[in-house]
Amino acid sequence: MRAALTIAVKDATEIWRDGRFRFAAGLLVILLIAAIAGGVHNQSEIARQHADAQRAERDVWLDKGDMNPHAAAHYGAFVFKPVQPLSAIDPGLDPFVGVFVFLEAHKQQLARHRPIEDATPTRRLGQLTPASAALVLLPLLVVALTFSSFAGERDQGTLRPLLAMGISRGSLLAGKAVGAMLPLAAVIVPATIVGAAILFWNAPADPNAPIGARAAGLGLLYLVHTLIWIGLGLAISARSRTQGAALVVLLAIWFANAFILPSLAMAAAKWIDPSPSAIEFAASIQDEKDSWPSWDARVEGVMQRFLDGEFESTMAPANVEVVALLESEADETALYDRRFAELFERYQRQARSFEKVGAIAPTLAARTLSMALAGTDESHDREFAAAATRYRTAMLTTLNGELASSGRFNTFDYTRGRDLWEKVPPFDYDVPSARWAVSQVAWSAGALAAWLAAIALAAAWSVSSMRLE
Amino acid sequence: MLRLLTVHEWRLWRTNPIVRLVIASFAITLLAAAGLGATRAQRERATIAKFEHRGGIGQGGPQLSLRADVAANERGYLALLPPAPLSALAIGQGDVYPNYIKVTARSLDALVSGDQIEHPLAVASGQFDAAFVVLFLYPLLIFAISFDLTATERDRGTLRMVLAQPVTLGEVVAGKMIVRIMKLLVPLLLITIGTAALFSPTGGSFWPRAALWAAAVVVYGAIWHGIALVVNARGFTAPANALILAGIWLLFAVVGPSAVNLLIATSYPMPSRVEAAVQARAATQEATVQGSRQLGQFLQDHPTSGNVGRDGMRQFALLQAERDKRVADRLATVEATFNARLEQQRRLASWLSVLSPTMIAQGVLLEVAGTGTERFDHFRDETAAFQQRWRAYFEPRVLDAATLTREEYEAAPGFAYVDEPFSLTLRRVAAPIMVMAVIGAVLIVIGFRGYRGYSL
Repeated sequence: MRAALTIAVKDATEIWRDGRFRFAAGLLVILLIAAIAGGVHNQSEIARQHADAQRAERDVWLDKGDMNPHAAAHYGAFVFKPVQPLSAIDPGLDPFVGVFVFLEAHKQQLARHRPIEDATPTRRLGQLTPASAALVLLPLLVVALTFSSFAGERDQGTLRPLLAMGISRGSLLAGKAVGAMLPLAAVIVPATIVGAAILFWNAPADPNAPIGARAAGLGLLYLVHTLIWIGLGLAISARSRTQGAALVVLLAIWFANAFILPSLAMAAAKWIDPSPSAIEFAASIQDEKDSWPSWDARVEGVMQRFLDGEFESTMAPANVEVVALLESEADETALYDRRFAELFERYQRQARSFEKVGAIAPTLAARTLSMALAGTDESHDREFAAAATRYRTAMLTTLNGELASSGRFNTFDYTRGRDLWEKVPPFDYDVPSARWAVSQVAWSAGALAAWLAAIALAAAWSVSSMRLE
Repeated sequence: MLRLLTVHEWRLWRTNPIVRLVIASFAITLLAAAGLGATRAQRERATIAKFEHRGGIGQGGPQLSLRADVAANERGYLALLPPAPLSALAIGQGDVYPNYIKVTARSLDALVSGDQIEHPLAVASGQFDAAFVVLFLYPLLIFAISFDLTATERDRGTLRMVLAQPVTLGEVVAGKMIVRIMKLLVPLLLITIGTAALFSPTGGSFWPRAALWAAAVVVYGAIWHGIALVVNARGFTAPANALILAGIWLLFAVVGPSAVNLLIATSYPMPSRVEAAVQARAATQEATVQGSRQLGQFLQDHPTSGNVGRDGMRQFALLQAERDKRVADRLATVEATFNARLEQQRRLASWLSVLSPTMIAQGVLLEVAGTGTERFDHFRDETAAFQQRWRAYFEPRVLDAATLTREEYEAAPGFAYVDEPFSLTLRRVAAPIMVMAVIGAVLIVIGFRGYRGYSL
């Protein structure tokens, strides 16, 4: 134990004295803090815009004056996607999904206006975020700290004398691991403290959206991911012939994890489960609508059923059009629900295929988990879309139901005002719990845990069986 | 002499297993990327071809109504954007912007297009295409094969022996550089342009664009070769060179662009769509509500659609057109303000991209491939111009509540996308390509000058 500590202190001191390390570490700390400050600034700005917009929209809805309830359904309502506080740490898919949905009669839409559409094309090259700094840049520093741990000693011929001093290989591994962690702490600790302070001051805690569990989960995730990279670096350093070879192998693994595999995994996922393009999706809905009876035929059909005595005798003949309206509305809702469900299911299958690649790429698994914990992944977006759809159905039911129960001879003559608009409650969206978020990406969580266990074993095995020269 | 040195270096390299591994993995990655891109482009071409024969969405359905408002608005016209000439090489913004717009004869909702739908994870992860390989992997591999131009030979003393021959150090280095440049450049150009030529139509501006693509790749590579040369000339050991070059790659290709994007997001945030939506709602509320009341009043007077009659339908169409126009006019002001601000922010932000060669090259590659923002903007402009003709043809008939004859319907104007002239693309990319060429040339000159003081 003592020997391990001595090795750790010696390694850490050596690394710390290296000017290149201090430069790289300093740069990384600055980048991390800039990423957190920028992330928090952008997040709070967008959150404010969305909250203001939702309030303004509510006022517009209530103050629109008297009109026919079905006209009000056509007037529609905007629902803005609430921005999660932890999107400051990992904006995830937020820039790539729509920010609001317009809910109206007869038509259902996907959320519109993805921020990426308005961004400059260079945005496609990626943006610095605290998550990308922790998952992409930090591992590179780990690689720089660990590639020579054993291979360097072997190149210099000091590995055999070291073990001849009676140090066990286990102590050597522990010493080398701690020796790499101490300088890393010089980056992680200040960045975490400053980051947490910025996050705390800038984003006042919303009692309805506790982020404690999610934030702790994110911290743990980044720690586990860093540990995996330390284990990987040590294992490969112990196995490699020279430190140069260790560096090349580690850099290749890093490059594959950070750059090649995410896009390649998604390309493969789309290959397995192709999804329709916008034009095909729109056409599939239109085709089905075209096969329905026309409005007049629909009204005639309802009238026939009315004459056949299918409805209660108290119903006025003029309500026939309302019944037809409600039925066509129900058909449309069912059609859109089905098509969107199909599309989302396809997306979900693509996401699952993508997630599978996490088994061979720990950074990919960590990225998936990070987005899930920050509340910015695809399943959270789907949850929001589902909430918007439920809200639309409730809104239409309230408005159309009022029309049907009005019992007026002339349905279009019927107007209502603020009292009815108030019956449609404001849109409220509760973010699912951290447990739910993780359960959606259980595969990634499992893959990462397996990686941690496997890498610990691999490092121990590599060191116990490594060549000494 | 240079030729002899180059041939000698070439022979040496053919026997080097690591170099062979690097070149082979580069070629495989390129083939995969170009193949995926070509497949995607082909699929897109097939989809466009399928819809070209359908006209409007839903045309060919069982209820082909020839009522003017149905034909002009409900069915409308599908304006289609065929895939760009080199879209097999760079998907670019093709997964963000839609390749079709539904045109109607109304003044409101005149151009209807959904977003291009694609899994957000795919857009976020970036597309695995040839442009991606050129932008990220190519520079890294340039460094991987160039970090040890002369360091090991110098340390082993063999460089001294080589220079005992009647050759200069500059010639030796030039020979090594030529081999290294060719080893990556030749497969890169052959595979990317070859795949695109095999799987896409090569008419129109294909070959001039392919030449520009090649030029962009050459000058982008020159910058990275130049950096490698400058670092090598400093006389560090090979591992030190490797570490420095890896750091430079990280800084220019990864950290630089992502930090610049963070800077853009915080200093030049794009105007908020959310705020614009609320403003649009407020600006059009009065007109919408007033229009809806008038339409409601009409429906109250004509409770069932059966007894409206042609005059009634004319009146209804007029009321609807008037409401649309009022709403559209108010909307136009909000949209114009938003678009002007968006354009201004984009222009300001695009200046920051000169900070990274990768960002400059990305802009050039997308523009040359035809999958940058410009082509989609041009498509939108062309479609807007077409909408004027479509509207001019149909509006009088809609207001007249007419039912078209088949001939009248078939005589309606059609749309075929015409690409911007190639000279415009050339003008847009000439300056950035020149800038990259100058930077590359300056770096290479500095590198060779640095070698003058190289200590053996």
